Amino acid sequence: MSNTAHLIDKHEGYTIVKFNQELDYNQSKKFEADIEGLIKNDTNYIVVDCESVGTIPMDCLRTLLKLHLHLKKDNKFVRLYHVSPVLMTYLKKEGVDTTFKITKDIKDALAETGFSPKKGLDAEFVNPFLSATIHVLKVQAQVEAKSGPLHVKKSGEPQSGDVSGVIGIVSDSFNGSVVISFPEATFLKVMSQMLGEEYKEISKDIIDGAGELTNMIFGQAKIILNEKGYGIKTAIPSVISGKNHSLSALTKGPVVVVPFETNAGPFFVEICLSN
Amino acid sequence: MFDPKTKILIVDDMLTMRKIVSKILKELGYSDITEAVDGNDAWEKVQASNGYGLIISDWNMPNCTGIDFLKKVRADAKHVKTPFVLVTAEAEQAQVAEAIKSGVDQYVVKPFSKDILKGKLELTYKKVSVRLGA
Repeated sequence: MSNTAHLIDKHEGYTIVKFNQELDYNQSKKFEADIEGLIKNDTNYIVVDCESVGTIPMDCLRTLLKLHLHLKKDNKFVRLYHVSPVLMTYLKKEGVDTTFKITKDIKDALAETGFSPKKGLDAEFVNPFLSATIHVLKVQAQVEAKSGPLHVKKSGEPQSGDVSGVIGIVSDSFNGSVVISFPEATFLKVMSQMLGEEYKEISKDIIDGAGELTNMIFGQAKIILNEKGYGIKTAIPSVISGKNHSLSALTKGPVVVVPFETNAGPFFVEICLSN
Repeated sequence: MFDPKTKILIVDDMLTMRKIVSKILKELGYSDITEAVDGNDAWEKVQASNGYGLIISDWNMPNCTGIDFLKKVRADAKHVKTPFVLVTAEAEQAQVAEAIKSGVDQYVVKPFSKDILKGKLELTYKKVSVRLGA
């Protein structure tokens, strides 16, 4: 979990500045220093995620204004998004609501720049799910997991499990899904480890364990991805069960399949993204 | 640490998670454990009881979230001082900040081991001992 009050995340052509919390005096000074650094060294468009704040200290606002005026010389700008009604009232009161164009989300903030919010099914996106899977199984079930070589699923490629946890990925600029799918034998061993007693058949007593594992893996991955500016929203998992069931991807888009081997047996993770 | 006779309420919509928390609590010596399936169910149980010595609740639940349940507890004069621990997969800074602002005593991020939960309960006890004037 990040313990910084704000985050600066550079992408090709644009930089995301994200407030993680309301800023105290020292945090404001750090923020101002970092923005002054952008004025000196950066010529990207700047988009500011304001979801976590209801006010912005005046000195910080002035520094952002200075950055905006600096970028205007190159026909670039600072834009704010995820501005709450409370923050909007504050910005209007300070007379800066028209200086910075206020937009709904990062996609709108980047409109007219020619850049789109990052949303690729690449290592940066996939790896947090893999490390989260390994971490969750180790801590919650004392199961050592190792990922195998991943591949992009071909159309019509069979991929089935007996119990699956499914969770939707929703952000302002992309959607997708994550599936954690277990054969029966692996699931029973994992649940037996988690609950400290032996289970010999899949029953209502343990079946939501697939959803809970998916929930934990998603939560852990979301921390890392949102620190990088992906803006993934909270979601609630579902469980699908049935011998050898297969799942169609919830969205159109490439599907990455990652097999795992564990001391409890194999399972796989599928991740899918679309625009 | 909390007395072994402490009356504990576990709140989670997932049976598996209720079983995990309950198992750990029993291993730590607690036996007076009640379970609720969401914030509404939990609030009914709180109101129907003389109060609980400790509440351990998930965040994301249908009908009434853990945060909304926490706010109800903290708004009720009879139960306002109840020790409250959130056990949740939500761990971003903004969410932790919201939980603290709402009056949570401790925050456990899933996944967690028995030692992690035990440590958080010890911290909760120390904190509320001051609050309850113990």
